[in-house]
Amino acid sequence: MSWSTLTAPSKARVLGLLLSCVLVIASLSVLSVKGLNFGLDFTGGYITEINTTSVTTIADLKAKLSPEVASKLAISKAGEYHFVLREAPEASKASTWQAELNEQGVDYSVLSSSFLGSQVGDELFEQGCLALFAALIAIMVYLAVRFEWRLAVGSVVALLHDLILVLGLFSLLGLEFNLTVLASLLAIIGYSLNDSIIVGDRVRELLRIQPDNQRINTHVVINDAIGSTLTRTLITSGTTLATIACIWLLAGAALTGFAIALFVGIVVGTFSSICIAATLPQLLGLSSENYTQTLDDKTKAYMEMP
Amino acid sequence: MSHKSKPALWRRLKMSYVAMIAACILLAVSALPNLYPNKSWLHISLPDQTVTLQSVTTSLNQHGFEVTEANDSQAQLAILLAEPTQSANALSFIKTQYPQLEAKIVEHATSPQWLQQLGLSPIKLGLDLNGGVLFVLDVDLDKAMQEHLNSVYQQTKLTLRKDKIRGIRASEVKDGVELQILPSGEEQLAGLVSTLQGQFKGLMQTKSTTNNLTTVLLHFNEQSQNEFNKQVMAQSLTTLRGRIEELGITEAVTQRQGKQRIRIELPGVQDPSEAKRIIGATATLDFYQVVEVGGKAFNVQGGGVVNLNPMAIFSGDHINNASVGKDEWGKPLVQLSLDSQGGDAMSAFSKHNIGKPMATVYSEYSRDANGDVVKKSEVINVANIAQHLSSRFSITNMKSPQAAYDLALLLRAGSLTAPVTIVQEQTIGPSLGSENIEHGLAALMLGIGITLAFMALWYRRLGLIANIALLLNLTALVGLMSLLPGVVLTLPGIAGLVLTIGMAVDTNVIIFERIKEEKRKGRPTYQAIEQGYNQAFTTIFDANVTTMITAIILYAIGYGPVKGFAITLALGLLTSVFTGVYISKALSQTLYIKLTNLTGAKA
Repeated sequence: MSWSTLTAPSKARVLGLLLSCVLVIASLSVLSVKGLNFGLDFTGGYITEINTTSVTTIADLKAKLSPEVASKLAISKAGEYHFVLREAPEASKASTWQAELNEQGVDYSVLSSSFLGSQVGDELFEQGCLALFAALIAIMVYLAVRFEWRLAVGSVVALLHDLILVLGLFSLLGLEFNLTVLASLLAIIGYSLNDSIIVGDRVRELLRIQPDNQRINTHVVINDAIGSTLTRTLITSGTTLATIACIWLLAGAALTGFAIALFVGIVVGTFSSICIAATLPQLLGLSSENYTQTLDDKTKAYMEMP
Repeated sequence: MSHKSKPALWRRLKMSYVAMIAACILLAVSALPNLYPNKSWLHISLPDQTVTLQSVTTSLNQHGFEVTEANDSQAQLAILLAEPTQSANALSFIKTQYPQLEAKIVEHATSPQWLQQLGLSPIKLGLDLNGGVLFVLDVDLDKAMQEHLNSVYQQTKLTLRKDKIRGIRASEVKDGVELQILPSGEEQLAGLVSTLQGQFKGLMQTKSTTNNLTTVLLHFNEQSQNEFNKQVMAQSLTTLRGRIEELGITEAVTQRQGKQRIRIELPGVQDPSEAKRIIGATATLDFYQVVEVGGKAFNVQGGGVVNLNPMAIFSGDHINNASVGKDEWGKPLVQLSLDSQGGDAMSAFSKHNIGKPMATVYSEYSRDANGDVVKKSEVINVANIAQHLSSRFSITNMKSPQAAYDLALLLRAGSLTAPVTIVQEQTIGPSLGSENIEHGLAALMLGIGITLAFMALWYRRLGLIANIALLLNLTALVGLMSLLPGVVLTLPGIAGLVLTIGMAVDTNVIIFERIKEEKRKGRPTYQAIEQGYNQAFTTIFDANVTTMITAIILYAIGYGPVKGFAITLALGLLTSVFTGVYISKALSQTLYIKLTNLTGAKA
């Protein structure tokens, strides 16, 4: 298949695929340089959230503490009067900052406090990776049984693309990667496939009903399939994105990372379902013959039955 | 359409309609209790008439706990605070103010009587929504096994001495007890091993002979080790549940997490320090005979060493009840009552040892700087046995009333056989919890609003059906979550609900787009609907299976909030297929066609 024979939508898809490749390479290089900002769930340590009206900036709060105590604390601001203090897991729990703040007459209330042993953090990380791999393998098996292998490969590549781009963005912006973000990655796997499958289903259907004598180019069939599912894809992505935006804006800091990951995941997932999941099978040589073959086998088996 | 087939078709349709309506009503009724959230009450039991309801409420009111309702019934007070999130603080206040009273927090349902009689209750809220304390404990199974092997060793030595067996020498090795048998001891080996096997279930022997010397390794194989681990975990869980009950927390969740972890959620608790002191405590009490020569050296509290017979007379396991008291000099003591086995051991021992000393050893596990578990044992009391003791006696010489109170509590709830350490601890303030609920619900409402508005505008009449299906979906999901035991709603769970709403629309969108397409091909409305639903079903099925796979995997590996997300996601998929495919098909076939027939000429 040469470039000149492709119609405009097909050209756009191939260009989109190239763009995806560039983005994946960029994400991977950001990930390898900056890494991920792992949260308490994976590193272990102490996190205390406090509410105080006595101090307004991080610098003020640090000034109230002695230098050796302040150097062990990572302080961030989660809202007006709302601070988050982090300590390494080795620190003793009777940490001195609370005593020092009391001494300085800082009036504060503890909203929440957590401690996680570093060993537990490592285990959670291992389990998380295991879950991701288990999900990927289970889905590949399901797709291999359910679909023609070229479509299955397209869906899986699209899926990996979505995950890598989300991770890349988290690395680039230095957003905290915790257990709920990991959960959202698994949810992205589900939704990304959802889109790919719906396009793939339609491709399969259109290829099957094509009469042998009037066979047209596969890429045209794929364009038709995308065209007829485009409204659905846009509506579903739109309503889902709208609800996720609600979580992002209203559900509070605890779910911000989760919402960002899902939001980005669904945007790139919609893009990849068209540019990767549907385009890659075409480049791999998908044609209606792949389906007539299977039909023939079935018919043969049927006829051989006594 | 022929006249013959029509009644049969209608009958079939009606049967499925009845089933659907029944399912919807069932789930809707199950969802109802969520409109009436539970309230936490304080229950205080009065052993005598010294404290009255009046005095308790007055002192609560004076200390900033506003009481809105208080009842007095059959030696029990029930108090409802204006600010139920304050209940845990009020509980600890009552405990310090009236140490003789037993108080606990009990959740009261506020739903109508008939709902309660059906056994329906609101969805359980996770810690992040309710506020409270979470502990994850690590149970040191290796240490427990080591202790177990040590007691095999001690028992072996004791049996060798008691039965006057010569020619067999026992020594402790890494994973068992090694017996070295000289030719003179070979006859007695079988008897010794069977005695030990009678005492320790699953004890195995491996024989090897080098030159003239036979060595036997007594050990536990993998199967009996697993059995032992399971037993230790079960025992630890029971003990911890007992301790939490002693603390007066009734809604606690105590469950095993992974191979050797225990997860404890204490909703409503705000100060983790008391719970931590009691839950993490590994204190055990054992009673030993003091010997003049030989034996094992133990440190005495406050300095000094005393030699004790290494086999305990009996251990803290045999204590039935323990309470705090004072001796004639006003010093705190702990009064014990033993079970029959402990009582027999005590009786037999004290009868033969009147006038001789007996030691009480208090042991506690802690972690050293390397993170290894070390057992610290201390003799807290050496007393001469004045008389023939039976199942009731006291331990004196307690350091403080607090120490006596804690020891009594721990002895009542049973001791932990394996050392535990807290590996995760989380405290969520009640204000953060209610803030989370508010935020989550706001996101849910806005999400639903946007989706409903969009569907109504985009699909008009079909959109109405989709919206009915969507609201039914939400009701069914909430109903299902309330109905199933063990389902907990967390903040990510609410996010799962919001997502389900966004995704549930997908099912309808796929179908409606199909119906539109079929209509464009020139099919009549009824056929287009039929075709649309049938053709879309495989696609919907495929799409949902993959999401279901990820939800199941998330459920299997996740804990706490993540599990809550996985549950809502999975249940949401089920209900969205039910409402999005079956119910909206039924609705389209009846409602939509009627609507189109009414306005059909224009459309």
